[in-house]
Amino acid sequence: MSGVVLQARAIGKSFPGVRALDKVDLTLAKGSIHALLGENGAGKSTLIKLLTGVHRLEEGELLLDGKPVQFDDPHAAIAAGIGVVHQERNLIPRFSVAENIMLERLGPSVLSRVDQGALQAEAKRWLDLLELDVDPATSVMRLSAAKMQLVEIAKALSLRSRVLLMDEPTASLTPHETEHLFTLLQRLKRDGVTIVFVSHKLEEVLQICDSVTVLRDGRNACQSQPMTGMGRQDLVRLMIGRAEQIPAWEARDRTTAPVALQLDKVSTSLGHRDIDLTLHRGEILGLYGLVGAGRSELAKCLIGLFPLTGGKVTIDGQPAAIGSVAEALNRFGLGYVSEDRKQEGLVLAHSVLDNAGIAVWSKLAGFLGFLKNGQIRERVLPAIERLEVKTPSLAQQVGLLSGGNQQKVSVAKWLAAGVRILIIDEPSVGIDIKTKAYLHELIRTLADGGTSILLITSDMPEMITLADRIAVMDGYRLTGTLVNDRDYRRMSQGIMNLIHGEEQDAA
Amino acid sequence: MQTMLGKAANTDWFGPLAVVIVAVVVIGAIEPTFLSAFNIQVLLSAIAVNLVIALAQMIIIAIGQMNLSVGAIGGLVAIAFAGMMEVWGVPAPLALVLALAIGLAGGLANGFIVAKTGISAFIITLASLSFFKGLNLGITEAQPFYGVPDAVKAFGNTNMLGPIPWLVLPAAIAGLGIWYLLAKLRIGRQILAVGGNPHAAELSGISIFQTTVWAHGLSGLLAALGGVMVVARLQIGQPSIGDDWLILSFAAPVIGGAVLAGGHVSVAGTALGVVVVAIITQSLVLFHIDPFVVQVVLGALILWAVGINRWREVRVERRLRGAS
Repeated sequence: MSGVVLQARAIGKSFPGVRALDKVDLTLAKGSIHALLGENGAGKSTLIKLLTGVHRLEEGELLLDGKPVQFDDPHAAIAAGIGVVHQERNLIPRFSVAENIMLERLGPSVLSRVDQGALQAEAKRWLDLLELDVDPATSVMRLSAAKMQLVEIAKALSLRSRVLLMDEPTASLTPHETEHLFTLLQRLKRDGVTIVFVSHKLEEVLQICDSVTVLRDGRNACQSQPMTGMGRQDLVRLMIGRAEQIPAWEARDRTTAPVALQLDKVSTSLGHRDIDLTLHRGEILGLYGLVGAGRSELAKCLIGLFPLTGGKVTIDGQPAAIGSVAEALNRFGLGYVSEDRKQEGLVLAHSVLDNAGIAVWSKLAGFLGFLKNGQIRERVLPAIERLEVKTPSLAQQVGLLSGGNQQKVSVAKWLAAGVRILIIDEPSVGIDIKTKAYLHELIRTLADGGTSILLITSDMPEMITLADRIAVMDGYRLTGTLVNDRDYRRMSQGIMNLIHGEEQDAA
Repeated sequence: MQTMLGKAANTDWFGPLAVVIVAVVVIGAIEPTFLSAFNIQVLLSAIAVNLVIALAQMIIIAIGQMNLSVGAIGGLVAIAFAGMMEVWGVPAPLALVLALAIGLAGGLANGFIVAKTGISAFIITLASLSFFKGLNLGITEAQPFYGVPDAVKAFGNTNMLGPIPWLVLPAAIAGLGIWYLLAKLRIGRQILAVGGNPHAAELSGISIFQTTVWAHGLSGLLAALGGVMVVARLQIGQPSIGDDWLILSFAAPVIGGAVLAGGHVSVAGTALGVVVVAIITQSLVLFHIDPFVVQVVLGALILWAVGINRWREVRVERRLRGAS
């Protein structure tokens, strides 16, 4: 710990109706990796936007090397040596790697000629520094997600960033790529770069960070504390004010119930091979795997978005050839709650009623396709009430609800449509921990009521909280199925072994 | 050899170029007058004017927007150009500069309003289309200006070299200029970057405001050049100039592989798109087919081109997914 590079003092920020940040402090030591944690809505993104000049600083002050600074736009922050790698990719897909890295330095004036050769030579230096073996002339859209991210890091470094903010950098990386990234971050740290690491993955934070700042409801829950002596439970306690635990629910066994959905040697056009899966009535079957293992893709094939190329699907004992989502819903009572509720699940600008009712329109549409709001309300209201969606009225715009309530609406939609089998994909992405607990109880209650649930999640505690049995998928194949005995350590070890296959002895 | 052909097939210009070659050969075989010096001259005049019009739209497509007012700016500039010369006796070179300045100002106004308000360019240019057209009709009272000097008429109707009309010269300069700008100059890369991913461009410190204003300014300037060229070719300042530019201005860039969402355009492709449209128009005349059919064919052509572009995108996506 040698000196402070950036310090934020008593920073505040208000949006209409919301106090996003209140007297927040942050002290970043030179050459360290600093975790910035908090639940969704705790104020992390607002703080990042203030540090990087996206929002103007109006309350409090920022000190860079002890001197007050004011960033009027992102460019000013970049010029001061504050770089950021955002969660979403910020590259121009059709531009070359070199041009993306050098995007803010294409020339002194807008009419300057861009010297591609010089750009590539300069970019190469930074790619080499990251040991990234990519031709700077390649267009970015040809790279993998991990490489794109490294290109963004190269870009930030090439701007002489002394402080590098990374928002969920490992979200789309495989474990191997994550390890590579961490090695790199350690090296940057030794070179004196300060890294602010924002992540929901607490294990990673514990592994790599030197100090931590936690935000809760727009305030500091802790400010720049050393990480030594901190454990996962401590971090969780700081984030939500209580320790995370697997609720002490009874283990359930539904394997004697009738079979609701059965896959027999199913292959799909997306690359799944020989998938055997059995889902019983009222059972919660977890489908675990890393990002990219092919779980959501399997769900999308099952609901008829992509064709199957082999094998047999049986629903309630009847062979089912599902050709479209409409057929999945209307003939087989099969619904899918997308992991991407903003893009695939909900029409954010429409009302709660319209969103929750969208799946029943075809059943209720009368002569000439007329829909009566009263009828829809009748169908939708029980589902909305059962899920305890907190909304001032059914006419409320869904986009204005909290993430948790949005998620409830997307589940309510299928309940209203009377599905018997529900595929739920990453139910708690972007939802704070308190709402998550409600959501878990809800899913459990649904299953108790006889709905069969195929649960896809990458969140291990969530999986062990909810699932009755856990099937593990890796590389578009199933590697095994475990009965969940709700012992976190044993189950997570078992799942990991199934993912890593023969490497299990080394772990 | 096969890989070279494969590479060529993936470029924007390959498809339209193949269409052009086949069309020229087939039509030339059926109707030899198609390849007569006179017909080539007529064809090249139309291509020259239409290329400038298409470029005016292409530069806005590059930034991921639309400019519905290209024709209205061109029309206003056309009658201003002719009117200045007839009513005030302004010498042609000065009238040209002033006319281009009017187009530039119109484009800059579009860009400024779009960038400042954040309202979509579709809406803003829909409004300015009506505004410019109204000015045009107010000034002309729907009557053409006839007093176009002989030098201007000659520029629009005589040849520079063999069957190549003088009009090809400004079109070629505009084409090369825009290509150079998009491929080599910082502002051009900024326009494509904003079109490709505005959020990323902004976070890289690229000024969306500046880039948008530049793109619309260029679009206005090109539309003005198109207006002046049409006056030279028609030899009068018609108030209706520009009314029929809209479809062509989108068709040519799209046939040339432009992505309407922004970030990718091709000058060579657009030029070939213009040639395709010109050949079709011309051959329908040659074969005495009802000129209204041109509109139908043009519509079908746009659909076909968009379909091809989409198919290519899907193929790239598939390949990328397969590789990862």
